[in-house]
Amino acid sequence: MNIHEYQAKKILAQYGINVPEGGIAYTPAEAKRVAQKLSSRGPWMLKAQIQAGARAEGHFLEHEAGRKGGVRKVTQIKNVSYEAAQMLNNTLVTEQTDAKGRLVSKVYVEKFETVKHLFYAGMIIDSAVSTITLLISDVINESIVRIADFQTDKILRIPLKFDAAISDAQIMKILDFLLLDEKYLQSFHDFLGKLLFTFVNLDAQMIEINPVGILPDKKLVALDAKINFDDNALFRHPDIVRMHDDYEDDARKLRAYRSGFYYHEFEEGTIGCIVNGDGLALEAMDIIKAKGYSPACALNVKGGVDKDKIADGIKLIMTNPRVEGIVINVLGGFLRCNLVADGILSASQDVGLNMPLIVRFEGTNKDMARAILEESNLQVTFAEDMNEAVDELVTQMEVNA
Amino acid sequence: MSILADKNTRVLIQGITGTQAAFHVKKSIQGGTKVVCGTSPRHGGETHLDVPVFNTVADAQRACKFDASVLFVPAQAVKSAVREAVEAEVPLIVSIAEGVPVHDMLEIKAMLNGSKTLMIGPNTPGLITPEEARLGIFPENIHHKGKIGILSRASTLTYEAVLETNKANLGQSTVIGLGDDMIVGTDYRELLKRFMDDDETKAVVLVGKANSCYEQMVAEYYADMPHKKPVIAFIAGEALPYGYTIGYAADIVTQGRVTVADKKKIMHDSGMVVVDSMSEVHQILTDLQL
Repeated sequence: MNIHEYQAKKILAQYGINVPEGGIAYTPAEAKRVAQKLSSRGPWMLKAQIQAGARAEGHFLEHEAGRKGGVRKVTQIKNVSYEAAQMLNNTLVTEQTDAKGRLVSKVYVEKFETVKHLFYAGMIIDSAVSTITLLISDVINESIVRIADFQTDKILRIPLKFDAAISDAQIMKILDFLLLDEKYLQSFHDFLGKLLFTFVNLDAQMIEINPVGILPDKKLVALDAKINFDDNALFRHPDIVRMHDDYEDDARKLRAYRSGFYYHEFEEGTIGCIVNGDGLALEAMDIIKAKGYSPACALNVKGGVDKDKIADGIKLIMTNPRVEGIVINVLGGFLRCNLVADGILSASQDVGLNMPLIVRFEGTNKDMARAILEESNLQVTFAEDMNEAVDELVTQMEVNA
Repeated sequence: MSILADKNTRVLIQGITGTQAAFHVKKSIQGGTKVVCGTSPRHGGETHLDVPVFNTVADAQRACKFDASVLFVPAQAVKSAVREAVEAEVPLIVSIAEGVPVHDMLEIKAMLNGSKTLMIGPNTPGLITPEEARLGIFPENIHHKGKIGILSRASTLTYEAVLETNKANLGQSTVIGLGDDMIVGTDYRELLKRFMDDDETKAVVLVGKANSCYEQMVAEYYADMPHKKPVIAFIAGEALPYGYTIGYAADIVTQGRVTVADKKKIMHDSGMVVVDSMSEVHQILTDLQL
């Protein structure tokens, strides 16, 4: 789960990490009031709150939003409401959003901080060695994946333990890498120690402070903040669950999420996939692409749920306006095939099935599942494997078209 | 022979009183798996599925002998269940649950490190030695005793690999789902080594995926192995957008730029037979004339 920058900064502040003073605004007038309350004089920073990075380099789709991006420095108070009005209720597109962009419903107003030095700090989990890795780079305002791809020596990677403090030697290594003096040792210790504590305590999967600023008094300040939490650990953090911004997810994704399923929509494509398991989803995508088609959406159904939830998930695919054909591949283990068959039946009765549907069942209760669908009068075709299923689907879709 | 579990393996079930355990453990027992006892807090002294139930693994150990434990506990309870099993020095544990927090896995990996326990999973269908032992939830009707070892990082694709070995009339020695999560108890290397040492296993099918970093690690390991049996490898997710999930992005940042094509090349160069589609596997197995 992702949260907004202003929420992440609030969390960091609770953990004793220095962040600029700021407040959230939903209207231009509110933005001005927040700015005046923060400081009698500018400059201020106005930051569009969407859950995607590269906002400063992004652009708005609407003409009236002006040509600037989603992060704006404003020097005079009279311009605060003007700039806020340009951003609010307009659509910001960045390299991390899709082409449709995201609606900006709130801006975060901050006091501008004058800093001497800027750098990137991030924490992630390294699955190869099962540790937390601290990432430091002097390349700022750039996606860390892109830096890793093309300038990998610009990243310093420091393995950290979840149950031990960061050592002086590690901090010295960071200072050397950033060409900074030893006098910053204490403030780096303080800042990164608190960041690690936040990461571990809140079950974060990724924290990025891009950038960290060094203030004239040597203290560090988080000028931006991005936290991604492990969905599997949210049961331990009801306070974070409450921060979830439903408007950031589209309605289908949200409904799937509430049924406990994973739903993903792709930018193009006409085939809806329903599978159980990560691997089958990957295989389905590979096979569909290899046949010159694209998946429109994929639903990953988990085991251990009732047939009503499965039906609800299948309806999401059936009612997606882009979907022209559906392929279902279930290898029953934990999830029993007959539950999926019941789900298909009940979803079809509710919303109607007016497109080709190819089903492949294997494993637990597959014969029972097949019998359920055969006894109904649904137009369902059965396949023996995924290749055959996609071949059959494509043929039927071409006949329909 | 087989690896990790056979007809003599005595199995403990942690969380034996749950509904999923009831359904799947019953099937395992019917298939011949030697389930000797179970645990479930506050159910100590009861009998479930005709075996005695204890409150804790330590209690169970005082009364029964077992060599492996299957965890049917929910994701939130996996960490403490693993701790119990590791403290009792159970040689093998299999954790089925999906949704174990990744920070719990960091702690679990620290517990396993230097312990006497090998952990399979979580988020896995488990492991099966056909006609001998079923530790988990694999559908038993598709497996046949035979010569091919299967290691998979993509639970449901494991079944596809099994069907391929059936098509080649070779069957399986042992099938192991490593688990789908970013971090799992045991990666391919230790298990591949055991297959290489197992007389009955003549070749291994390895099922990997794009958003996992263990494939490069096993390729390097395999390249350096003195005695190699054939390994046929398939990687799912060529169509997956690069750096697609947080975990995938993290792998790129820590391991460097590795696309599926790069991964396939690394595996090919290590001596593995890399296929583009799972449906090629049975023909390659047949051609090996095992």
